[in-house]
Amino acid sequence: MPQRIEITLKKDLLDAEGESLRLKAKNYFDIDLHQVRAIHMATIDADLTPDQIDTVRTQIFTNPVTQVSSVKPLNVDFDWIIWVGFRPGVRDNPGATAVEALEDLLRVKLKPGEAVYTAKRYCLKGSGVCRRDVEKIAAELLANDIIQQWAVFDESQWDPATGIGIIIPKVILDHQPEVDTLSIDSDETLARLSDERSLSLNPKDIPTIRSYFLKPEVRQRRRQVSLSDPTDVELEYISQARSDHCNHNTFGGRFYYKDLGSGQTETIDSLFKSYIEGPTLALKDKKPWVVSVLWDNAGVGRFDSDHHYVITGETHNSPSNMEAYGGAITGIVGIYRDPMGTGKGARLIMGSYGYCVGPRDYAGDLKPRLHPRRLLDGVIEGVRDGGNKSGIPTPFGQVMFHPGYLGKCLVFVTALGIMPAEIDGEPSDQKTILPGDLAVMLGGRVGKDGIHGVTASSATFSRHTPAGHVQIGDPYTQKKMHDFLLDARDEGLIRFITDNGGGGLSSSVGESALFSNGCDIQLEKVPLKYDGLNQWEIWISESQERMTVAIDPMNLDRFMALSRRHAVESTVIGTYTDTGKLHITYDGATCAYIDLDLLTSAFPKWEFEAVWQPPVLRGLTEPVLGVPGDCAALILDMLERPNICSKEWVCRQYDHEVQGTSVIKPLIGAGRDVPSDAAVIRPVLTSEHGLVFSQALIPMYSAIDAYHMTTCTIDEAVRRAIAVGGDPDHLGGVDNFCWPNIQYDPDKNPDGKHKAAQLVRSCKALKAMCMAYGIPLLSGKDSMYVDGHLPGSYGETHKVSALETLQFSVTGVMADVRRCLSMDCKVPGDRVYLVGITKNELGGSEFYAHLGHVGLNVPVVEPDRFAACYQTMAQAVKNGLLASCHGVYRGGLAVHLGMVAMGGELGMTVDLAKVPAEGVDRDDTLLFSESAGRFIVTVAPHNQAAFEALFDELPVARVGRVTETPQLKIIGIDGQCLAELTVERMKSAWKGPFGGLI
Amino acid sequence: MSIKPNVLVLTGFGLNCDHETAYAFELAGAVATRAHINTVIAGEVSLDDFQILAFGGGFSWGDDHGAGVIQALRLKTNIGDRLLEFVATQKLVIGICNGFQTLVNLGLLPGTDGDYTKRSVALTFNDCGNFRDQWVRLKINPDSPCVFTRGIKTIDLPVRHGEGKFYAQRETMQALADKRQIAMQYAMPDGRLADGVFPHNPNGSLADIAGVCDPTGRIFGLMPHPEAYNHVTNHPDWTRQVETEKRDGIYRKSTVGQGIRLFENAVAYFVSGN
Repeated sequence: MPQRIEITLKKDLLDAEGESLRLKAKNYFDIDLHQVRAIHMATIDADLTPDQIDTVRTQIFTNPVTQVSSVKPLNVDFDWIIWVGFRPGVRDNPGATAVEALEDLLRVKLKPGEAVYTAKRYCLKGSGVCRRDVEKIAAELLANDIIQQWAVFDESQWDPATGIGIIIPKVILDHQPEVDTLSIDSDETLARLSDERSLSLNPKDIPTIRSYFLKPEVRQRRRQVSLSDPTDVELEYISQARSDHCNHNTFGGRFYYKDLGSGQTETIDSLFKSYIEGPTLALKDKKPWVVSVLWDNAGVGRFDSDHHYVITGETHNSPSNMEAYGGAITGIVGIYRDPMGTGKGARLIMGSYGYCVGPRDYAGDLKPRLHPRRLLDGVIEGVRDGGNKSGIPTPFGQVMFHPGYLGKCLVFVTALGIMPAEIDGEPSDQKTILPGDLAVMLGGRVGKDGIHGVTASSATFSRHTPAGHVQIGDPYTQKKMHDFLLDARDEGLIRFITDNGGGGLSSSVGESALFSNGCDIQLEKVPLKYDGLNQWEIWISESQERMTVAIDPMNLDRFMALSRRHAVESTVIGTYTDTGKLHITYDGATCAYIDLDLLTSAFPKWEFEAVWQPPVLRGLTEPVLGVPGDCAALILDMLERPNICSKEWVCRQYDHEVQGTSVIKPLIGAGRDVPSDAAVIRPVLTSEHGLVFSQALIPMYSAIDAYHMTTCTIDEAVRRAIAVGGDPDHLGGVDNFCWPNIQYDPDKNPDGKHKAAQLVRSCKALKAMCMAYGIPLLSGKDSMYVDGHLPGSYGETHKVSALETLQFSVTGVMADVRRCLSMDCKVPGDRVYLVGITKNELGGSEFYAHLGHVGLNVPVVEPDRFAACYQTMAQAVKNGLLASCHGVYRGGLAVHLGMVAMGGELGMTVDLAKVPAEGVDRDDTLLFSESAGRFIVTVAPHNQAAFEALFDELPVARVGRVTETPQLKIIGIDGQCLAELTVERMKSAWKGPFGGLI
Repeated sequence: MSIKPNVLVLTGFGLNCDHETAYAFELAGAVATRAHINTVIAGEVSLDDFQILAFGGGFSWGDDHGAGVIQALRLKTNIGDRLLEFVATQKLVIGICNGFQTLVNLGLLPGTDGDYTKRSVALTFNDCGNFRDQWVRLKINPDSPCVFTRGIKTIDLPVRHGEGKFYAQRETMQALADKRQIAMQYAMPDGRLADGVFPHNPNGSLADIAGVCDPTGRIFGLMPHPEAYNHVTNHPDWTRQVETEKRDGIYRKSTVGQGIRLFENAVAYFVSGN
């Protein structure tokens, strides 16, 4: 009989969890509660004796020092109770670890179907609180109805004897698995079936699919395995493989690009081949440190003669938009599998995040599924648990607010790993599969999770998007698998490894089978979470924390022994062959038999019309603004803007020191509270080499031209790396495109041609920048369809599209971490220099946004000129000439001089008349222009001559000095003092918006 | 006794600071072995071969039912006796973060009155309500018998935890103070005790407790991570320190971080005698 245990903190202990809820209710909804106590519940659905339950209760669930517990409902004072539990089939991590502990403690093995389910109830005290308030707290702070169920009780409804009762969210499918055959008698029939089954087949692919299955020789071979028309397993496989997520149809598509400014037209056969693969291959030849690019789960670069580093990044937008915590934790844990599946497997050394959401205080008429504030909270917590519990530092990240992300948020996650250069004398980055190798699936089990997740992220989010693909990542299970795989790798047991991400086994087995040219899979061997899954569901389920490995049958016993040691479930699910066929059986009956080369055969390319109307033709102009009089107030208000202000609360939740490798932390300076330009880690503890990492995200410039958005974003990422001492000769890039739908439709996507043109321009810029700066693209991903249809006040919906967004990551190796620089000014009397030219480039700036304008003069990167300057900067670092170095980014000079002063908690006097500038005659332009290619550096007096000699030919000027009095003093062009701001005032403004958050 | 003591660093089940903890001991002159908890339980790795046992940081079993609880339970159930034998033989045990949480749940700490099985103190949720990564200044109790903190007055180390608030009943707190078991406390930048002031005391620990030892000083648990200060560049102020020192003509050759001193003390305990 199931039993429920309730646990709570002793009365005299502060309930931090309850207290956070109380504060959130106050801060978010102005609901006054005077007390919240949380009660944790574990419902044990297993055949245990009362004695056993009592042992479990006291030994596992109750800390005798801090907690009390009971198998009866605990009597905790309340006016209202909110109960929150998982829906059936949602991953319950604490429930799973409770089972492990219970089995170990009692020396029993739970029977199939037995489990522990956790839930919580919150006891709220508050005199003026009504049911509607409590329901708001339940629905908008505690539970997300996609994954959780909740209930609210007042005193009259609560039975103190039975409490919430026994609730068992167990999945019971009661279904006999069966394979369906789908008719292909016409294109229309297949299109209809695709629709009915949410296959998301592209209509243009349908004739190719039909013609394959109608080929006489194919039909004849299929008859030999008792198949005729395609099965659901087969069509699901094709659908997954052809999805934009897996196949990158957009970047491989054909673009008809027309520039209405110049009148020129151009046909581009593949953005990927032209602008990503081409330059990267060209640079690979010039950069001997590039080890492996463009084919594996992540790119590989050389760290030193004994180690390679591995990097990749992706997004998890659609799931996070629906269930922020679950989507984000699944995203970060998922990206961590990519380095694990690169080469023969890498150890994870670092992760980073980038969040783009609607304004945190959004109070408009549109109703996003989750309010941006709640969404951001959930995303932050998801990445926190995913990263921290994986034991991987998260030393860098960014948060960006813009109303365009109300339709769909962006959650960027990036992962870096390291591996020995050789395993068993063989290069670690290379792998293959021999016929006869065993296909092993390991890690988590398979359930109905994430089915059609890939196809859902390839479609615009609407009310009809199936919610079932939201999952909750399980970093604990994955960490065990990570440790196991590294042991197995080091023993030489792994021939090939890849992760199970989008598309599940369908992708991991389907793609790995290309290496041996075939495989036989027995689907009934795949371990399931519960019975009743159809064959196609097993094949494409995206249940998390799984890898697919190919091993030599000779190594099976050793592999399995290691797997048991690490408490990881590994299962042989088939054999790789060289038959050219993907052959799937279930209990001996064939359910898929497909030629592997079908997917590389002649599917039609996607096609896009791209029409570029230059900003001037679109009517963009510069605003007509008079010179502001109160610069001090303006600077303080700029520091308070959400995209500028301190986000310390996010950084501090992330463990950025685990592994003991931290060199440049996310927050630095005298007060350890100002963000650094980039992160540096020392991933090999016995080495003085460092790995620098930075990212940039400036989507606002896309409102003018995505070409310049791209060049500025890449330039910023590079400058960030240079600012901490990065080596311009060793910079690898990762491009993550997030774009709204670019397929023109007169009704549904009337500006599709513009968005397509923006993508073409962005790709052109990417190539130009990579070639000029010498950045091979080690990895990259695209995520299209960043659009949402949000309900408004009257039941109408509004399509909200995100700004065209590129996140660019840069990584590189530096020889000696002790040469790293931080951005804070350090010693009074030091000279302040400005490197780089300030121009009248306020278009798309934070300053214009503050005043309600977009403008026209977007910053223009001069790649060759800048690249030469960065070489000199690197020389200055090498010569030890700089005391601090900081790039000038969003918000311009005023904001970033403020950052340098706040970082050092010292003052600076800066004379704007000395700032190297072209075509600028106004103080406000100098202060807020976002011209690229600039740094603020401080130099010790005794290095002044050497510094000036080194930069002789470059646009560099001494603009001021560091002062003891912690005050930023800015002198205008006319010699008058424009602003005097103490560090204290600046910090108070800068920390104002989010300083109270923890 | 060999010159270099052997250290066993536990791994597996979500533990995650094993590499740097082993490295820190090696830097300090020990020989470190990382071994999966299951290999110790199975007897493939024997505690007898080691002089120092290190319970490192991480999220054992996801920390889903109280940090360190399931790890402690698993060890107690399977090798509880062997652990008691180990501590009875003049050997050293250190528990860092999740390891500290495990030691208090095992009862190896505080071990007041020689009872190494009783859970009498707890590390519970931070008062601030969240996981937090920051550096703290720590004051060492010069009167404590703790082997690991010998000769150290103050030290800066990072904390990274969600459940680090040291809590015990008043009598227990008094006993800890009386026996000088409070080895390490959160302090203000000037070295005075933090007196509960956030963020200097980052979690609301009673009596600013960051680490305690058993009455013999041979078992030590702490929330801060000394292994994460293995290199000078780990310290948040290092670029500032280096720049100031450069002006004074000072160039330090050694790159070893201050956190290693705790491990050196452990090694010295065996090499130079107790």
